[in-house]
Formats: sequence, C-alpha cells, structure tokens
Amino acid sequence: MSDYDVIVVGAGVAGATSAYCLAKGGLSVLLLDRGDAAGAKNVTGGRLYAHSLERVMPGFAGRAPVERRVTRETISLMTADSSVTIDFQKPGGMSDPASASYTVLRAEFDAWLAGEAEKAGCDLVCPAHVDRLLKDNGRIAGVVAGDDTLTADAVVLADGINSLLARQEGLKPELSAHAVAVGCKEIIELPERVINDRFNLAEGEGAARLFAGAPSGGLVGGGFLYTNKTSLSLGLVVTVEGLARSRTRLPDMFEAFKKHPAVAPLIEGGALLEYSAHLVPEGGLKTIPDLVSDNILIVGDAANLCLNLGYTVRGMDFAIASGQMAAETLIEAKNNGGDYSKGVLDGYWRRMEDSFVLKDMKTYKNAPEFIERPGTYNVYPELMDGIFSDLFTITGEPAVLARKKIWPRLRKAGMGGLAMDLLKGGNAI
Amino acid sequence: MKRVIVCYKWVPDGADIRIDERTRTLAMDGVSWTLNDFDRNAIEAGVQIKAATGCDLIGVTAGVDTEASGKDALSRGLDSLYYLSDQAMADADSRTTSEVLAGMIGRLGGADLVICSEASDDEYAQQTGPRLAALLGYSSVTCVSALSPSGESLSASRKLEEGVEDVEIAGPAVVSVVPDINQPPFPSVKQILGAKKKPSQAVALAEVVGDMDRIRPQLRTDSLLAPEVSRKRVSLSAGGVGAADAVAGLLKALAAEGVL
Ligand SMILES: Cc1cc2nc3c(=O)[nH]c(=O)nc-3n(C[C@H](O)[C@H](O)[C@H](O)COP(=O)(O)OP(=O)(O)OC[C@H]3O[C@@H](n4cnc5c(N)ncnc54)[C@H](O)[C@@H]3O)c2cc1C
Repeated sequence: MSDYDVIVVGAGVAGATSAYCLAKGGLSVLLLDRGDAAGAKNVTGGRLYAHSLERVMPGFAGRAPVERRVTRETISLMTADSSVTIDFQKPGGMSDPASASYTVLRAEFDAWLAGEAEKAGCDLVCPAHVDRLLKDNGRIAGVVAGDDTLTADAVVLADGINSLLARQEGLKPELSAHAVAVGCKEIIELPERVINDRFNLAEGEGAARLFAGAPSGGLVGGGFLYTNKTSLSLGLVVTVEGLARSRTRLPDMFEAFKKHPAVAPLIEGGALLEYSAHLVPEGGLKTIPDLVSDNILIVGDAANLCLNLGYTVRGMDFAIASGQMAAETLIEAKNNGGDYSKGVLDGYWRRMEDSFVLKDMKTYKNAPEFIERPGTYNVYPELMDGIFSDLFTITGEPAVLARKKIWPRLRKAGMGGLAMDLLKGGNAI
Repeated sequence: MKRVIVCYKWVPDGADIRIDERTRTLAMDGVSWTLNDFDRNAIEAGVQIKAATGCDLIGVTAGVDTEASGKDALSRGLDSLYYLSDQAMADADSRTTSEVLAGMIGRLGGADLVICSEASDDEYAQQTGPRLAALLGYSSVTCVSALSPSGESLSASRKLEEGVEDVEIAGPAVVSVVPDINQPPFPSVKQILGAKKKPSQAVALAEVVGDMDRIRPQLRTDSLLAPEVSRKRVSLSAGGVGAADAVAGLLKALAAEGVL
C-alpha cells in the first residue's frame, strides 16, 4: 500500500494545477516543491492567458492574485536610438474570461494556486527537494527527498525545464543550446497611479509591451514589459546559441535595453525589487520528450511545452492544461482499477493531441527556425527607422514623394530576402 | 521530567521587511510571518530533552494570527500546541507577553521545565524568560548553551562573557537558551506531514488573564527607523581613470580617513 496515489514534484503552475485536479478527483496527492514556499523562486515574463485555468477553475481571476487584465498591446521595432510601435487596444474584446489575459507575479500566484490544491485536499510540503525517483523492482514507486522515502502509485514530474529527474530516468536528453533561450527580468516598483498615467490605463487595466530589434542586440530574442498593480516586469529573452556567438553579455544587453530612449522613461523613478534569470524551452515540437512511461507523466516546462515566438513566450497556459490532462488520465486509471502502466497512461498523450497544446505546438512547428532568421531582429528595425525618419523629417530640402523614398530602402534591405522572410514568416506564424 | 514547555514567538519575517531609503521607515505590507529564529533552538533543546526523558513536549505561543505557526512549530518535534491569538497582542511589551504566557502555563497546570530563547527577532528585549520565571515562582537560568537531564534534575552550562558556568537545576525552572546550544535540523517531509495530525488547542485571552489592567502595555514605541548609512559616494575610477591611478587614489583616501 503506497503512501499516496500520486506524488507531484514541483509546485509551479503545472504541478499545482495537476495536484488540484487530482485531489478534486478524489485521489490522495502529495505536492512537493524545493522552494521555501510554492513559487518562491519561479520566473515568468508575466502574462497568463486565462483560457486554460478558466477551464479548471471557472472565474478564477475574481479570486486569484492576478495583477492586471491586459487591455493594451504594443509591439515596437527598435534600433539603437529609434523605435516604431504598433499600438493595439480593444478593452471590450479582451474581457470575456476565455480570451482574457492577466499579468501575474509568480511568488503570489503560485502560492495561491498551491493553496487551492491544498484546500482541495492535497498535502503540500515545501521546502522539499526531491533527489531522485524511488524504484521498486525497476518500477517507479515514489520519490526520495533527503532522508524521506515517500511511496506512490504514480508520479507527475512538474519540475520545470531543467527536470533533473526526467534526465536521471533517461526520459529527457540533456538540454541543447539551440533548444533553450535564457531570460532575465527585473521587477521595478512604481506607484499604481504613476503606472496608470504612464501607460494610459484605467484602474485594473494592464499593458503588454514587446520590443524587437536592438534590445537583443540584433540576436534572436526580444524584450518585454508587463504592468503589474504597483510594479513593472521588464525582461529580455535571447537564445543561448546567439549569446554564445555574441560579444555582448546578457546583463550588459539588459542594461542597454533599460537605457533605450523608448524604455528609460517608462521605468524612470522606479525602485528595483527583484532580479531573476531563467531558461525558456524554445525548441518547439521536435524537442518534446516522451511524456509517458510506466507510473510516470511529465507536464509543463519539464516536457518542453512552451512556445517562444520571438516576440512573446507562451508556457503557462500549456503548463496548466498539461497538468489538468495528466490528472484526468490518472483519475481515469485509478477508477479503472489502478493500472498505471504506460499503455494506460498513454491516454495523456492522446488528450494532449486533441487539445490546443499539441495542436498549437504543431501549428508553430516551424516557428523556431523562422524566429532564428537574423533579418527579423536587425534588418527590419533599420528599415522601419529609415522609412519613418524619411516620412516625418522635414528639413526644408525640396520634398520627395513618400513612395520614392521607400523603394530605395526596401531595395537596400534586400527585396529577395524580405519576400522570403514574409513568406516563411507568414507560413510559420 | 514529565512535562516540558517551549515558548516561542510568531514574528514578521525580517527578510521581507523593506526600508524606505528616504524616510528610513520600515515597510511592513506584504511581510510574511515566521517562527522567531532563536526559538528554533529552544524547540530543538526541548526535542533533545524529550529524546532523553520521554517527557511530554508542549509548544506555547501568544501573539497575532498564531494559529498559522502550528504547521512549522509542530513539524520540529513538539507533541502538541497551546496557542493564543488575539489582536491585543499586537502592541504587547515584555510584561504583557510574560503575564499572558504565565497565565497559559498556569492553565496547563505548570511544567517541570520551561524553555525560552534569549530574545525575539522583533523586540530583542531579553526579558521574557526571567519575567516568566518570577511570575511562575520557578528558578531562572539564562544564557544556557548546554542542557541535559541528570536524574530528577538538570545540568546546564551558562555561556558568560568570561567563561562557562556549569549549574545544577532542581525543581521547576525557566531556562533561556542561546543559539550555540544546538543546530536545529530542517524538518523532514514526514515530520511536516505528521504535524498536521498533532493536537493543537486555542485559548482565549479572557481565560488566561483575569485582570486586563495587568497586561496593558506600558512601553510605547515612538519611533522605529533604519540606521542611517552614510557613504561618501566618491568614485575613484570615474572618467576613465586607470586601475593603477584608482588604487593609488584609494590608498590616499583611506589614509586621509585614518583607516590605514
Ligand atoms: C523570462 C521568461 C518569460 C516568460 N514569459 C512568459 C509569459 O509571459 N507567459 C507565459 O505563459 N509563459 C512565459 N514564460 C514561460 C513560463 O514561465 C513557463 O512555461 C512556466 O513557468 C512553466 O511552468 P511549470 O510549472 O511547468 O514550471 P516552473 O514554473 O519552472 O516550476 C517548476 C517547479 O518545480 C520545482 N522543482 C524543480 N525541481 C525540483 C525538485 N527536484 N524537487 C522539488 N521541486 C522541484 C521548482 O521549485 C518550481 O517551483 C516565460 C519564461 C521565462 C523564463
């Protein structure tokens, strides 16, 4: 007789959701996290697309510690000293629960989500660092954490991108440089009123701002800024491969990003609350490991379920949905007599294939290659800078029609490459 | 040794407190609460006495929202918890706290030994142990750096400025322990899970204090400011000064300050 039906390792959004669903489904569950509290050290950019958690806990945003509902989106193409921004707002269109997105701070959000799992009846222990999986006659039979041996019929691995446990088990290969990006982020405190004024927001409304080009030094990647209630999440994501080739280090890139004329006024006067850095899976569909084996399932970042589209990272909605589907599979297994062998747990993979998780990963399967086309990050910002400088600069020289100014610039940027990028980009995203 | 009581305090987590640099005031919003650091040593001292004697080990705490402390405190090896949670304790001074704790211990029927730590993270008044001893009529032994049962009595070492004093304690006593006494281990997963099943009992202020005047705080904090850090803000390498010149400048500046 095991101590628990299921042990979930990692109380990030994937693990906490899984534990919540398992407990609601009547299984005995133990949720373990190495942090002093769930989510204590977890890093994300800051935007949670609500749809997947909405399916697990309808109306969650009314109870959860979300920061702001995103009503305003901008994308900026930047050179070292210029930026061209597209600004989109449609507060009404972004307000129904299934299409809303919220800015979140993980320390509070994860602690809340793990607390909901606890209320649903799961046992939560932090800090508890799981050192290895427990084996009994070659079968996974629980976990070992320090001096503790804890047994379970099945284990859910939700231990994030590094997932040492999946690697120990040979379920996941070593991380390779082209399958990960690295992100760093600062949380900068500002009074609520200042944020509302600076970003043109009504109370509770939030802005999501993305920056491409100069922030990543022309490398594959981009900057982001999300508004929280009384702080900003400002960060930069760059591929590890690009960084290895670059002469600029990430912290220096980040400092330059903060000083950019389009960014500096946004963070002015703010106090630094927190600095963090973290890896982002970005290899796409091809790098998803085998998610199922006897008595074990892998969810969230540990399973590389994350999309990096250059201008935006999406991982939390995948993590939540995969956690839920892993739980559904295990609940079904328990109710059908407690057989947790691979053949039964393969139902998890089928659920994922039928859902947006693997569908979206498939849709964007060529995105990693597209976002790695260098033109995206240096040629276009220059091009936009040139076009708009021409358009808006009046010097008293005889005027030239706009189209006559634009053509030479397009030719300079290389029409052939541009057309290819448009085509490939259009196909990939 | 039949019953040993450990008193502990539930305090704001110092790591979460932020200082407003301009006003030097402490920002307490969003601060989480934690077990007073030194009290982890007190609990561990109790756990070791329990291991040697098989005594009943009870945790006693009085403060605000103390119910939340149970999970952590019990996972460290206490058998049960007796707690008082009352907003009135928010402004408690040492006198208030020791009156309330004495009332609680009285209701439990006293103890053979009461263990406190020397002080709490937040007030650092170093009074609770001795005051409690006086109120209970027990002997008071402070600065305890080693404690072990010997027959019906206890042997203790007191860490003093000039050396160590060994004492024998007969009869009921309140000891306050210093952090050197032990290294409290991290509770294991099983201990944390086990804590949930241990009994804990709440008691109301009116049940332990007859005369509320006796616990009205008499100390008032008028001002609490972070220490002023004055830096000279001299940059020796600014404006492209080479490393060698900067070091020479630094040595000169330190000499001028009389540091070298
Ligand atoms: C800079 C950056 C920006 C991002 N921006 C966004 C965004 O805006 N929107 C979005 O949706 N996604 C974003 N992502 C991706 C998103 O953060 C992740 O996909 C998401 O956090 C994955 O959740 P998870 O629960 O799978 O893993 P994690 O959040 O990594 O949680 C793993 C948990 O496991 C615990 N753990 C690990 N090992 C052990 C062990 N051995 N024992 C016990 N516990 C263990 C850890 O403490 C941690 O709590 C971003 C990521 C980064 C780095």
